[in-house]
Amino acid sequence: MIVFDDVAVRYPHRELPALDGVSFEAPRSRLTAVVGPNGSGKSTLVRALVGRAELSRGAILVDGAPVEAASRRVLATRVAIVTQREEPAFPLGVRDYVGLGRYPHLGLWRGRSRADVAAVDEAIALTETASLAHRAITELSGGEWQRVRLARAIAQGGEAIVLDEPTTFLDVGHEMAVFELLDRLARDGHAVLLVSHQLNLVARFADRMVLLHRGQVAAAGTPAQVMQGEVLERVYDWPLVVTRDPAVGAPALVPLRARPRG
Amino acid sequence: MRRTAAVSRHASRTRRGSARAIAALAVLALAACERAPVPAHSVVTDDFGDTIAVASPPRRIVSLNPTTTELLYAIGAGGRLVGRTTYDRIPAEVQAVPDLGPGLRPNVEAVLATRPDLVILYASQDNRDAARRLRAAHVTTVSYKVDRIADFARVTEALGRLTGDTAAARVTIDTVGRTLAATLARTMGLPHPRVFWFLWESPLLAVGGGSFLNEMLKVAGGRNVYDSLPAPSPAVTFEDLLRRDPDIVLASATTRAKMLADPKWRTLRAVRKGRVLVFDTTIVNGPSARVGASAASLARVLHPEAMKE
Amino acid sequence: MRWLLLVLAVATAIVAGVMLGTLRLSPVEVLQGMLGTGAPMQTAVVRELRLPRVLLAALVGAGLGAAGAALQGATRNVLAEPYLLGVSGGAAMGAVIAVALRAPAALVPLAGFAGALGAVALTLLVARAAGGRGDARIVLMAGVVVGAFANAAIMVALAGADASVVRGALWWMMGSAADASWGGVRGLALYVLIGIAILLLLARAIDVLALGEDTAAGMGVDVARVALGVYVAGALLAAGTVAAAGLVGFVGLLVPHLVRMAGARTHRTIISAAALAGAALVVMADLIARVALPPAELPLGAVTAILGVPFFLARLRRLA
Repeated sequence: MIVFDDVAVRYPHRELPALDGVSFEAPRSRLTAVVGPNGSGKSTLVRALVGRAELSRGAILVDGAPVEAASRRVLATRVAIVTQREEPAFPLGVRDYVGLGRYPHLGLWRGRSRADVAAVDEAIALTETASLAHRAITELSGGEWQRVRLARAIAQGGEAIVLDEPTTFLDVGHEMAVFELLDRLARDGHAVLLVSHQLNLVARFADRMVLLHRGQVAAAGTPAQVMQGEVLERVYDWPLVVTRDPAVGAPALVPLRARPRG
Repeated sequence: MRRTAAVSRHASRTRRGSARAIAALAVLALAACERAPVPAHSVVTDDFGDTIAVASPPRRIVSLNPTTTELLYAIGAGGRLVGRTTYDRIPAEVQAVPDLGPGLRPNVEAVLATRPDLVILYASQDNRDAARRLRAAHVTTVSYKVDRIADFARVTEALGRLTGDTAAARVTIDTVGRTLAATLARTMGLPHPRVFWFLWESPLLAVGGGSFLNEMLKVAGGRNVYDSLPAPSPAVTFEDLLRRDPDIVLASATTRAKMLADPKWRTLRAVRKGRVLVFDTTIVNGPSARVGASAASLARVLHPEAMKE
Repeated sequence: MRWLLLVLAVATAIVAGVMLGTLRLSPVEVLQGMLGTGAPMQTAVVRELRLPRVLLAALVGAGLGAAGAALQGATRNVLAEPYLLGVSGGAAMGAVIAVALRAPAALVPLAGFAGALGAVALTLLVARAAGGRGDARIVLMAGVVVGAFANAAIMVALAGADASVVRGALWWMMGSAADASWGGVRGLALYVLIGIAILLLLARAIDVLALGEDTAAGMGVDVARVALGVYVAGALLAAGTVAAAGLVGFVGLLVPHLVRMAGARTHRTIISAAALAGAALVVMADLIARVALPPAELPLGAVTAILGVPFFLARLRRLA
């Protein structure tokens, strides 16, 4: 559904491009994850999708149409984006906040229809945030806030959801809960595109992984294909091994203690 | 009923007011009756309380106060001026004298650059520092406040002693005193209308009890509705003015035109009746040698019939 | 229910404002004055003095309240207020220069308005040159810079000026509803209503913008354009109130806080309620200005500041 086709982004005043010819697909009903070390260009991908970074080459297509062609609002009805950080300035109620997700459909002055209310209810049900509905978004814990943000994204009604580092600051339990939810969304037919540095979690849930290194794709494929010791060591520049624990059911990266030099 | 009571109150207050005016004139008369001619080197005490000795008549005078500038010209010492303030406009010849800026907190260096042997400052706290620094530079400096009609007489006399023009000073004081006395005599018996003297729009400023304009008004046969306020130009509210209900409004020509057309101003009885008289206060900066003529002309504005011929 | 209270507060303030003052009028006299059936002096006081003044104060308060609410939302900063973007500095500079040049009294508010607009334009230009299209912090900083420049210009203009000019300039900068006229009220009414309408139109976008610029962009909000729209509409509203009544501080800052504390959540509610609350507040402040220390009149800006400072101290303590 979302296709990155030979995408290149160069920030002004920087010598090296942030992204240099990145191509991959995030299809429906799949959870696609983009991973890589700091500075590999992961966040730039999301910014390019949102239109906050200019492409110097290539194109980003949503259902075949380039992103620049459609209006931003129409795009938002198809693709919902959950950014890395969101710090609300005002104590909006959770239900009102999730309701803002309908903005791409309503614009400035259309009134709310039954379909809009239904979308909000559905989103709240899916994310199991009904108990939070009357709280203020400034009073939520980290995990609760993430679920509520996801509800807002779902309420936008699009088939694609893009998340940038959705589990930073979350503890193990909440992390797993978020990933289970993302998995369910993918099973339901959404195209879930995820940017994360949590290699091991991603490896357990993603259908496809894209490993970025210095703005280029170093490896792409199923988690089994991408989680190879040699490639990962080169990209992350740190000694490691990849294990396969049957209980886990997916390859896991284990970093080793530093080798004494010489 | 209220009318007659008001009129009799007017009359008694008028008599008290004119008693004070007569007292002011008495001061003038006393000042005019100088004894023997005073020697050229004299000692004066200025309004800061400092005693200054002048050895010989000054040749280069800086006057940083429009009123003292006018007085110097009146007593014939204008030709010796080498410095004035930006606001000195009268007489026309003063434009040729170098402009040393506003009179308050003067640029002492600029003053010294004119090499004066006498500097006259306005006696406000703002100028104390300048007075001290000029004296430290060995320049004779005197500070005077010419805010009331009594000040006029006193300062003109002092200026005469400083510049050596004592005779001219006496003549000036005399002339003004006579004009004031004559005007007062003519207006004393007339009914004194209650006057609001407009000064400024925003904030609304009126001539108050502390201004020499108020004294002039009394001599000219008028009664200031804000006589009881001690400040010279107090800020007043429009509603308060409405309550005081003046008989006459004094203003400049442009203000008059605006007032007669403005519905807010027309809530005043005086404006509705068209009793807005033109008298330009910008002519009279302070009680200078023109204060007598001004009072007379104001009397003509207030009592056109009685002051004819 | 709360809306009812708010409307009642505005109505009470207006009635009190017309009744009280140097001359105290009873409600009956007020009514007679409005209908024109009372004594001429009372009719004159009600119609030509009190009503225009009170209505002007209400409009000024509404404009400032609404503008402050919208700006706080769009900049995601609860310390934002309508005089941002150099409005107060520019307006004061325009007015002070007009007073110093002894322009006719009618031109001074227009000069203030022009100064405000010029300052806003300059602020936005400076922000754009610094690369900050849509970045609220850069716009705010540009406003501070322009404001500082304007203050310097004011000081230069007043340095050599004579006493009456300084007094007139200071009076204008302290704010007053004393120069109200029906023509002015009509003009300001149109202006304020249009300005508030524009802000209400943008209210939903402000809700989204308040979540963060990246998030809003992802939801289809044209961040730069919406932010610009709010800044310009807010600044125009503020400039209009400044032209009518000089600088009246704290209202645009305070009122949105009060309204949010009372439970307003979305910006459509916040902006509307802030307009009403602002109107009530400024009418009351004007009344206090008139009756606190008779026969003198306090500057309106001083009263709003006096009301505002303790409120903010209380707020600070709660935040700490």
